[in-house]
Amino acid sequence: MICVNCGVELEDGLVACPLCGMDQEKKDEKGIISDNYPSGIIRLQKEESRKYLWELSGIIAFSAIAICIVVDLLISRGMKWSLYAAISILETWIIATVIMISRRNVPIMLTGIILTILAALLAYDLVESGLEWFFPVGLPMTAGIFAAAGLVAFLCKISRYRGFNIIAAALVIVAGLCMLMEIALDRYIDGAADLRWSLIAATSIFPVAMIFAFFHYRMKKGKQLDSFFHV
Amino acid sequence: MQLSGKKSGEGTSGSPVREKGWLKLDNAAKLFPAIMSEDLTLVFRLTVTLKEPVKYSVLSKAVELTSRRFPYFSVSLGSGLFWNYLEMNEKLPRIQAEEEIPCTAFAVSRKSETLYRILARGRRISVEFMHILTDGSGALEYLKSLLYTYLQLAGKPVGDPGDIILPETPPSEEEYEDGYNKYFRKVPPPAKIVKAWHLPFRLSEKPRLSTVEAEVSVREVLEVSRRYKASLTEYFVSVYLYSLQEIFHTENKNRKRPVSRVLRVQVPVNMRTKFPCRTLRNFSLFVMPETDIRLGSYSFEEILRSVHYQLQLSTDVKQLSRFLSSNVSYEKLMLIRVLPLFIKKMAITAIYRGLASKRMTGIFTNPGAVNIPGWMHEHIDHFSLVPPPPNRWVKVSAGMISFGDRLMICFSNITRTRELERLVLKRLASDGVHVRILNNNLNNRKR
Repeated sequence: MICVNCGVELEDGLVACPLCGMDQEKKDEKGIISDNYPSGIIRLQKEESRKYLWELSGIIAFSAIAICIVVDLLISRGMKWSLYAAISILETWIIATVIMISRRNVPIMLTGIILTILAALLAYDLVESGLEWFFPVGLPMTAGIFAAAGLVAFLCKISRYRGFNIIAAALVIVAGLCMLMEIALDRYIDGAADLRWSLIAATSIFPVAMIFAFFHYRMKKGKQLDSFFHV
Repeated sequence: MQLSGKKSGEGTSGSPVREKGWLKLDNAAKLFPAIMSEDLTLVFRLTVTLKEPVKYSVLSKAVELTSRRFPYFSVSLGSGLFWNYLEMNEKLPRIQAEEEIPCTAFAVSRKSETLYRILARGRRISVEFMHILTDGSGALEYLKSLLYTYLQLAGKPVGDPGDIILPETPPSEEEYEDGYNKYFRKVPPPAKIVKAWHLPFRLSEKPRLSTVEAEVSVREVLEVSRRYKASLTEYFVSVYLYSLQEIFHTENKNRKRPVSRVLRVQVPVNMRTKFPCRTLRNFSLFVMPETDIRLGSYSFEEILRSVHYQLQLSTDVKQLSRFLSSNVSYEKLMLIRVLPLFIKKMAITAIYRGLASKRMTGIFTNPGAVNIPGWMHEHIDHFSLVPPPPNRWVKVSAGMISFGDRLMICFSNITRTRELERLVLKRLASDGVHVRILNNNLNNRKR
């Protein structure tokens, strides 16, 4: 029997080709094992290297946390600043882990990063004042920033031309974000929202956005940002 | 002759190389760990195409038997404090399916991998060796031994093996000695050479390497080269240089001051033919015939005459000794030896990028005619090779190998342009050589 993929002669009784893994009866290409090719071994090596790097980063991160806590205990006779340091280091390490695990799945990676950042903010608040500012300020502001970034990304994706129009839209979104931030801060500090600085920011940003929109739709339509800004 | 398979770990017990557990890199290989990358893989391929489809089970057995006979190839690359070294791992090479891109890099950081692999597809058996391990001559000895064992296990009537290394013979120390060090003697270094002109072609997208393979008749090419009163290598190097000159003139038509005007082709020389050395590790040096365009444009006959005398002079053993001496001297300097490996690597990378890689315009390798016993001929269609992927300055390298009347020429190219290949093959055709471009199917294979 000759393998339909590799063309080598296989002994009777062999169901799959030992070279490429192709099932000889079903002619199933899904069975092809990439590790049986030279480039597959290189991929394997890269994955192993990433794993070693991750393990090493874990050792460094947890050692750093331990050192901070021990120094804090020795100097301040308690855990004060070391908790903030520990949360920061842990947050960075978890984000690195999320990126490593889900680097081929962007939605899962972004969700993981967002949740880690929110969890870190919650932890800071718990350590500092026992849950005081996270829900009224931290959560809405962080969620607003992520939503704004998501909206810009979405516009980029659906736009036919990714030029100055995207910058114009991003500026309008930033103006809206400023207002959202002021509302959240005012309600937390004074108990009621009173829009002041965000309105000034928005009215300053708006004409700039209009100029970008004008540039895009009237003068440089179709100009791609990557070509304009390429280094 | 009875052969039997052995389990992993058996077979070379008692051989000095296995007891030692590691080997120093030879002089040529010492540079390679610093400059190798996923693009510049330093891997070359030798292929034998049989007249029948490869039998996987026979090949698998033959690889096991043959590889046990070459214990100094069952190594991985280790990193010491001062030098890289070869660490015996007693692993068999992987037998893999041939894929679209030849000469893929080896996973050198995986200690369980060897630095050579066997590939099979259809009627083809290929061996891909990393240059750290050996050169074309050493790899060809392995392939011949593998081929002999394969045919024997496949039940073909075998005859006299000639000078083929048989799996049941013990490996000798001579086979893995460092020829460079053995024949080193201090002589004045060669004259310094200026940077060469480089092909201006745009690099292709990654993975960059593609090949063009052509077949010509040895008899026809010999007739042509005799007509020019030149050897085969002299003729091909001249065609190469002449084609480079044509590209140079086309590209620099409108340019007033080109960077360099020296066209230079690197031609490896098998040092085993110069010294009584039997090593199967690297033992080659280079000669660099050149054409200096500053003196004007040359006719083909002028280039051929110049190449003839340049090759005659530079392949003289005394001249080659100067290169050998110069290369080995560096590794003997105590100041360099005690530098930590990472500093050595940085220095080698800088020197290679700054100067060494830019010394030549092209590379042309010719291991010559494959010499195997007559009874094996009836099972073999032809031999072919793929030269290592060239660096980003050289861009295209060429190699040829012959078997019987069939001469296979292969170009390894990392650019989008096939102009050099076109000009070289066109020149052969215009000299009356029938050129056949092969469909080696390399561009439409499934992964």
